[in-house]
Amino acid sequence: MALKFTFPGRFVSPLGFLGMLTFVIFIILGITGALLMLYYEPILDRAWDSVKNINDVIPYGFHLRNIHYHASNAMVMVALLHMYYQYFSGRYKIRNEILWVTGIILGVLTILEAFTGYDIIFSERAELAISIAASLTNSIPILGPQMTEAFFGGGFHDFVLRFYAFHVFLLPIAMLGLMVVHFPRFLVFDIPMVMAITGAIMLTGGVFPVDMGLKFDPNVPPGITVPEWYLTGLYAFLRSAYDKFTTGVAWPGLFIFALLIIPFIDRYKKFSWKDRPIITAIGITSLAQIIVTTYWGFYIDPDRTKSLLERLVIDPVFLYLVMILLVPLSFGFTYMMIKLARNAEANAKIQPKKPTTKSSINLSEKWIYAIFVALLAFQVYLNIAAYYAVLNGMQNYSLFIIGIMMLVFAGMFHIFRHGKSMQKAPPPRPTIPPMPAKAKPPSLTQPGGPEAPQIAANTKVLGDLAAAEKTLAPSAKGSTPSSQSVQSVNKTESPSAHSEQKLVTDEKK
Amino acid sequence: MAQRPSPKSGGKVSRRDFIKLMAAAGTVMTFAVFADWGKFLPPPKQQSTERQMVELPDGSQANVNSFPVNHAEAVIFPKTDDPVLNKEAFRTWQFIRLPEELGGKTNDVSAFRMYSMVCLHLWCLWKYWPQDGRKRGECPCHGSMYDPLTGKAFAGPAALQAPPSNVLPMLDLEITSDGNVWIKPPNWSPNGNGVVGYGRFLT
Repeated sequence: MALKFTFPGRFVSPLGFLGMLTFVIFIILGITGALLMLYYEPILDRAWDSVKNINDVIPYGFHLRNIHYHASNAMVMVALLHMYYQYFSGRYKIRNEILWVTGIILGVLTILEAFTGYDIIFSERAELAISIAASLTNSIPILGPQMTEAFFGGGFHDFVLRFYAFHVFLLPIAMLGLMVVHFPRFLVFDIPMVMAITGAIMLTGGVFPVDMGLKFDPNVPPGITVPEWYLTGLYAFLRSAYDKFTTGVAWPGLFIFALLIIPFIDRYKKFSWKDRPIITAIGITSLAQIIVTTYWGFYIDPDRTKSLLERLVIDPVFLYLVMILLVPLSFGFTYMMIKLARNAEANAKIQPKKPTTKSSINLSEKWIYAIFVALLAFQVYLNIAAYYAVLNGMQNYSLFIIGIMMLVFAGMFHIFRHGKSMQKAPPPRPTIPPMPAKAKPPSLTQPGGPEAPQIAANTKVLGDLAAAEKTLAPSAKGSTPSSQSVQSVNKTESPSAHSEQKLVTDEKK
Repeated sequence: MAQRPSPKSGGKVSRRDFIKLMAAAGTVMTFAVFADWGKFLPPPKQQSTERQMVELPDGSQANVNSFPVNHAEAVIFPKTDDPVLNKEAFRTWQFIRLPEELGGKTNDVSAFRMYSMVCLHLWCLWKYWPQDGRKRGECPCHGSMYDPLTGKAFAGPAALQAPPSNVLPMLDLEITSDGNVWIKPPNWSPNGNGVVGYGRFLT
């Protein structure tokens, strides 16, 4: 297989390589998971205690467990973002549909992988999750009970052992196999972004260290628990009615099936979300329903005077009514956004083209060295701080510091790249912007996110007198918010740019 | 392919199609043997043909002459030599002698019941409450209640589940002449003694 890794020489939007980031997180999970395997014991009465041992006793076990846990959440999240980005940008049309289909299957396996992962801790919540999964499998007509026996085994001892086997071997192997098919041939491996993701996972672990939960004891009634966030949407449906097959198997099955056949339904000739109104509206509807049910699944009536069942059960009529109501709302929202975007495009054409001036703060070589040395010193300080935090038992603080170190490394690498491209670049001419926008080295302000180019463009425009005059004129003419948005779209859009950036700025509005 | 006759063969299966058919049949026949290997997945059920004694928590065997009326004990079945497996919730059973009004006074098998303690809702362990006004199985988790006479859930979330998931698995008992209570070899199917954690069809 001819894989080609691209190490970008400048900042590129991570939206385009979210899939690669998912894979990077998968690798992080593989490494931390393999290390956790050294101490974890998939045995009925020892599973929870072994995790507690990892968490409390084994040096850096706390760190590895937290990274493993938060990386699993990050992987589900990044995979979801990746899917929706591909969906709205119509990228699945570029290559054949197999990429999309394998991607959906990979997404389902990712959630199963995360699900089996938090079950083998065998806390109270894990037991509830296993029993719900088993009862859902049981509810499948005809083959259900046999499938439950075949996959789950018969009893808690089997469940822990089997979920462990699924989690550490069967599911990852299946995912790796699918990845071979799923990968496009060109991969962007952006080291600063990879380090930033790693750092973000560690920071999250430091700020929100994952708890142990209570050890499962069948004689003790469990407290109210909800599943992980990627399953609360399903949980909201489970809480609504008692027919488990419809709510727990048929609905999610239908959802996955709908996702699978999307590229075969989408017969629009164009890629952009604006040119595929119905597909975009369906996507927005699904997004709205996922967000609402995800929150709803978490929400439990805080009134403690009511019975547990009363607090848990969601009125099915209410739930389904809201789900149906979200459809016209989402469609209306989508068509409104498309209309706004079209107006903006039309207005942008009327206005005179500004010279495409992008970025930036141009650091001289001297300053680059100075910043590099400062960051190096900062890393030394953070190293010491992280070490002493562990010595003093402040585990999550040290994880937090290590997360910062990863982020600082991302910055260092970025400056290094910037400096290297500066050395290659010809000396800047004084008056005109030195290079065409594309080949220009990135600025420090850019990696901030989608709005960063806009800010950069603004600062540059302020600096450039001629450009400033041009921008002042239209903004003085119309001070309505819509013309303001027109301007920003115009600014971010360079002639050669993809519609990606526009999409982001429009969605933010 | 075989349906569309090539001009030469005149409606018959061509030689090439025939060899393809043979190859497909050969492949199917070669790998058909592995279909039965699916039996590897479900764990084997202990199909002992011998009865086992009802061993109470104190180690003695339950006896019809000494076991009090309107009383219940947790019993491990099938019991193993492995203390970890004996802790398994799926092996815990509630051995009940019915209250007087339900026929608990009689000195035969009809006075006793033995149900799986795993609640059919979300697998907590329910237990029998002998107090006046209760005299029923209650699950501490979500309040499912079970009728001690049949093992059918009559209240709470378990009662709302479709059969067989609203009736507890039940073991058949027999009493020897010395009064000792024994468990007959079970038939682990929804139509027999039921499946633990799943349920039983009430016949």
